[in-house]
Amino acid sequence: MKKVLTTLGVLALGGMLAACGNNAGATKQADASSEGSSQAAESKSADGVTNVTIWSPTDTAAIEAWWVEKIDQWNKENPDIQVKREAIDRADAYAYENKITTATTSGNLPDILYVDGPMVSYYAANGITVPLDSYFPADDLKDFMPSTVQADTYDGKLYAIAPTESSVALFYNKDYLDKAGIPYPSDTDIKQAWTWSQFLDNAKKLTTSDYVGTNIIMDKGEGIIYALGSFFTEAGAQFVSDDGSKADGYVNSDASVKAAEYLNEFIKNGYANLDPVKDEFLNGKAATLLGGSWNIADLEKSNLNWGVSYFPVADDGKAVSPTGDWAAAITKDSKNPDAAGKFLQWAMNSDNIASYASAVAKPASRTSSYDKMEGWDSGARALMKWQLQNTGVSRPRTPSYSVLSTDFSTAMLNIFSGSDAKEELDNVAKNFDENYEMYYKK
Amino acid sequence: MEAKLSKKSKREYGDNLAGFIMSSPALILLIAFLIIPIIYTVYYSFFTYQVVRPDNIKFNALNNYAKLFKDANFYVALKNTIYFTVIVVPVQCILALVLALMVSSKKKGVAVFRTLYYSPQITSMVIIAVLWTILYNSNANTGLINAFLKSIGLQPIDFLNNPKTAMNSIIFMSAWQGAGYQMMIFIAGLNAIPTEQYEAASVDGADWFAKLIYVTLPGLINTIKYVLMITLIQAMKLFTQPYIMTKGGPRNATKTLVFYIYEQGFQKGNFGYACSIATVFFIIVVTLSIVVKRISKTN
Amino acid sequence: MNNKKINKVLGNVIFYLGNIVVGLIFVSPLLWMLASSFKPELEIFSNLNSLSTFVPAHFTLQNYVEVFQRLKVFTILKNTLVYIGIVLFGDLLLGSMFGYALAKLKYRFRGISLTLVIALMSMPVEAIILPMYIEMAQIGWVNTMLGLTIPFMMNCFSIYMFYSYFISIPDELIEAAKVDGCGPIRTYFSIVMPISKTVFATVFILDFVSRWNDFMWPFLITTGEEKRTVQLAVQIFVGVSPIHYGVIMAVLTLASIPMIIMYIFMQKFYVEGIASTGIKG
Repeated sequence: MKKVLTTLGVLALGGMLAACGNNAGATKQADASSEGSSQAAESKSADGVTNVTIWSPTDTAAIEAWWVEKIDQWNKENPDIQVKREAIDRADAYAYENKITTATTSGNLPDILYVDGPMVSYYAANGITVPLDSYFPADDLKDFMPSTVQADTYDGKLYAIAPTESSVALFYNKDYLDKAGIPYPSDTDIKQAWTWSQFLDNAKKLTTSDYVGTNIIMDKGEGIIYALGSFFTEAGAQFVSDDGSKADGYVNSDASVKAAEYLNEFIKNGYANLDPVKDEFLNGKAATLLGGSWNIADLEKSNLNWGVSYFPVADDGKAVSPTGDWAAAITKDSKNPDAAGKFLQWAMNSDNIASYASAVAKPASRTSSYDKMEGWDSGARALMKWQLQNTGVSRPRTPSYSVLSTDFSTAMLNIFSGSDAKEELDNVAKNFDENYEMYYKK
Repeated sequence: MEAKLSKKSKREYGDNLAGFIMSSPALILLIAFLIIPIIYTVYYSFFTYQVVRPDNIKFNALNNYAKLFKDANFYVALKNTIYFTVIVVPVQCILALVLALMVSSKKKGVAVFRTLYYSPQITSMVIIAVLWTILYNSNANTGLINAFLKSIGLQPIDFLNNPKTAMNSIIFMSAWQGAGYQMMIFIAGLNAIPTEQYEAASVDGADWFAKLIYVTLPGLINTIKYVLMITLIQAMKLFTQPYIMTKGGPRNATKTLVFYIYEQGFQKGNFGYACSIATVFFIIVVTLSIVVKRISKTN
Repeated sequence: MNNKKINKVLGNVIFYLGNIVVGLIFVSPLLWMLASSFKPELEIFSNLNSLSTFVPAHFTLQNYVEVFQRLKVFTILKNTLVYIGIVLFGDLLLGSMFGYALAKLKYRFRGISLTLVIALMSMPVEAIILPMYIEMAQIGWVNTMLGLTIPFMMNCFSIYMFYSYFISIPDELIEAAKVDGCGPIRTYFSIVMPISKTVFATVFILDFVSRWNDFMWPFLITTGEEKRTVQLAVQIFVGVSPIHYGVIMAVLTLASIPMIIMYIFMQKFYVEGIASTGIKG
């Protein structure tokens, strides 16, 4: 029986091979035949002008304006390298990755690609992006936050460069804390930050019939591992082995299970919604929020009486906070990586990073940029910056990151809706190891 | 006799040529942009293919299929797809029939009501899914439906986060969104039932319910078959709702076959494996649609 | 006599009252969307437990202003209409020809073609979208108008609707044309097509709506602001932090309104069109 099936399969295949032509050459073919349509293929026109195309997710109005202004300026100053940026509309980071994945199958990537920090390893390991070391020498990298360089490095080489960083802190509604008789947590001394037990305890006290104690769910995708991952690190867990090749014994360790069960206390007891509306805190429907640096500008505009403190620390005092942001990389499909590199050197200089970071109110990745940015010496922004320099830890670096991220968020959501934590995390480990084994084992 | 014969064969020749001319542009497009991608899919299903490595694909014969038939998630997805289909088809069709009965008369203003019932149908599923994710919010302070339940003294329901309710919530929303279309078809079917039949039934003393059972439903039998067939075909394709609302969760409760194909192919990069799921899925739906077509024809 | 009159009045009361109540409940999610789009952000979730949530207390157009500031609405509309126009042209012309051939012409391969159409009708595009893209890349159609439109020109569901309609056209009509010396193709264009407005209207609406709502394919195959279509624009407001629901509701409303207006205008043809395709004796 098996033999018959195999024979049939092989026969069917023969027919298909004939029908499909040479598929292994899909990449080459696309490059050759798709002039005018493929992004990279347009790169050099007859008059010696090099074209560089950039993809990045559609952003806030201020950032969109920054792009227009900066690209205009560059194109005027550099008639030989003309840059064009395409905004990719997406509902979440996963959708954007799907777009890149699709383009990769056929060699249709742009010259410069913005990717989310932890995906840097994935793209690097698969040869989609090329090293940037020659454009950003070690000297220059000293100016960047250590967490930025760490996240953008794979296998000892720099594969991407991020203009901004991110951090997550605890925002609180002062009125609600007053009502519950809870003193404001500190924003200047991490020793007085809320610990795990205090956070849970206060969330309980703050939960009323009109609002919940806290909001810990950023979104149901990448936001889970990004924002909640730090609790795992604080518990002493690690997602994968140091070389990024193994998850069993790491993501499903006792410490991981402990962190997952701790987080579930919030959901299980109704101190936090599993499906919060996106501006729950702003609307006064949550008393506290594990929010990002990008929330600051929006909160400042509102009438809410809010304050900010550190990302909750472990009961033993261990403090960790999330980091990482979108970074620019140069792709294998780029015909003129040097032109793209030149542009990146310019776009990522201290001044441009300062204006970019100011536009989006995110912490800059370059230390020197802060001199040119206002408002980062005190309050929420200063706290974010402090966390980045002192407690920031980047997400795991492994070529199988997309499997880890997807399965981890699925597992956490399952745990939140009643599954056994150990079982779910075992599953993540199993899927991760399988994926690594299949595609990256040397 | 002879003249008749030659005329007939001439007509057939004319039909043959005209048939080719009229169908070939459409057929060429179908082959080029549907059949060929399907052939690609079947072809890649015999390979180990990490989606971002088109330069490194390895023939693995039937490995993907061997893995597939041992994959618990595949059976979960299959079960969910069947569950969704089996429930949503009757629910949506009955809802549509009730609505059609409500607006089948020629009274003034009936067009307005038809528009009301049809309006979810013309709003995109992407929009509807985003909207209902907010409506379904589990907290009575931020979810409209739970706020309503609370105000009439009921406990809030964790619609989309409870594995027991998630799929049913999607079914309810889908039936609401889609019923308008089937309603229109039913209206058309109802209008086609001769009024004499109702008059005759009235003479026999039949009440409203008897008329429904003995006149309306038998008169609608072909319409019902047609509606069942198209609803079934639509239901098997369920993707957008879990993609936007639940990402297949919680605990795989809303993971459908098409969603699983997407998840494996895009999200996890197992393109070859995704193709093998897709191939099995094709076989299922094609068989099903042909069987359904046969059944609706023979009866 | 009197009794009959009372019955009639009663029937009317039940009809209108019943439909108004059920109709309002039915569209309440959409009404809430509409109402929320005119509310300041902080009002949206502030009074969910009362009916007043369906009426904006502090009416504002700010959400719409934000949408219009953010988007080149005119370009987006133009892009979407061009996309739909090209697809619909193919669908209505070529699809109807195919449907007619399947219904009325006795040619070879007719049976297998019909089976093919029915089988392909149940094929979800999400399952083959990556191979479709790979094919587009091989032809060199990525990020082109051709790549966006041509693959979606043929819609098996439309073909099937045309087929179901044409099959109900009396054969005598076609025979008569033949006697007058009309070939099958001329018969189709000069006799059959003009009397088939309703089915064209129906397919037009159905296809218009589904193309208007397309998301996945335009997202993957096109790149950049100048090619942005309606559903891609919607994604921006769902995806870019900070997220504000008032603006989301405004953009969702804006994306739905054109379809509802079109439907209202074409409703008459549409019902007749469905009547002629859905039921076949």
